[in-house]
Amino acid sequence: MAHPDSVDEGGEEHHGSPWPVVIAVGMGIGYVGIVSASIPILVVGAAVFAAGAGGWVHVDMERPSRAFYGLAAAIESRFPRVSARKLALWLFLVTEIMFFSAIIGASWTLRLRTTTPGAAFQAPWARPGEILNVLLTGANTFILICSSVTMVEALAAIERGDQRKVRYFLLATLLLGITFLSIQAFEYQKLYFGDGLTFTQVPAHASEVNKLYGPTFYAQTGVHGSHVTAGVLALAYVTRKAFKGGFTKDNHEAVELVGLYWHFVDVVWIFLFTIVYLI
Amino acid sequence: MAETAVAVHAPGAGEIARKRPYIPVFVILAVVTGIELAITQPGLPEIEHSLRIIVLVILSTIKASLVIAYYMHLRYEPRWLALIPLAGLALVAVLVTALTATVAHP
Repeated sequence: MAHPDSVDEGGEEHHGSPWPVVIAVGMGIGYVGIVSASIPILVVGAAVFAAGAGGWVHVDMERPSRAFYGLAAAIESRFPRVSARKLALWLFLVTEIMFFSAIIGASWTLRLRTTTPGAAFQAPWARPGEILNVLLTGANTFILICSSVTMVEALAAIERGDQRKVRYFLLATLLLGITFLSIQAFEYQKLYFGDGLTFTQVPAHASEVNKLYGPTFYAQTGVHGSHVTAGVLALAYVTRKAFKGGFTKDNHEAVELVGLYWHFVDVVWIFLFTIVYLI
Repeated sequence: MAETAVAVHAPGAGEIARKRPYIPVFVILAVVTGIELAITQPGLPEIEHSLRIIVLVILSTIKASLVIAYYMHLRYEPRWLALIPLAGLALVAVLVTALTATVAHP
């Protein structure tokens, strides 16, 4: 059901929602809190951000999802058109590529610098499986791959206009995402409190291992886990909207965009699993 | 205007979607993950460390490429869209080069 004030007579969308502005203001306040190391300012920023996100989801939940071609249409004679939102999401994913490259690159550099013979504070890195449970995380990797298949099948279902399958495939993707996070939480809990892999210490049974193993492990898998959490929230939103009948054969761009983000998180994990667990 | 734009997007989408090899790609991803796990298990013939790293990086690059091409639909998008992630990869290449250089000459 379209809001009368959001669609004009020609069926064209107005982009007059105030909620993205509220989200941006919340993020701005939050960053001030981080930079000034002030928890109260950070909490205020997070609250404004959450209110903005909640408001946006609340408004959007009632609207059909529709592709917006915007500027791309103006240059279509040179370039075949791609929805402006999809283009923006791909640009956002490039910033994510840089973000993860920085985290992984920094961790890998620390590892190389402290394991080469003659380096300051030299200590060996843990062998695969020495500290981490490779088989458990291998199973978790399989779960994430399964969730990518269910996600892409959900998109294929709504492209055919199949309302029943899009709901079940989205729900399956959401549940698989939650399973991945639960297994990761279990792994963290066991490693940190059980085995003693902390930000400064390594487990007693692997006492010769480099002290940087813990912080680099938690930094790399932690930022990925936070991205999976964001993906699960986005999946919860599209699943809810699908169960309300918010997507049709012609209007389902949100499913595609959330899917792109979800697959990207899977791609990052493919590399992280190899780098952190297998090498 | 927006209606026509949607119309351009919609026709034949269902037809194309049916032909996309989602399940074969999934089988390849699962099998390659199994191979990755197998070659890092203790008890199997030890592969030389640097060779193992090269094999693992190649295998994960194959997996990532399959997900990007088929699940993220980059194969079915207009060619120019691929320039965007490629630009990201170019930036990654700069970063890796810079990091490698500083590791080699600390």
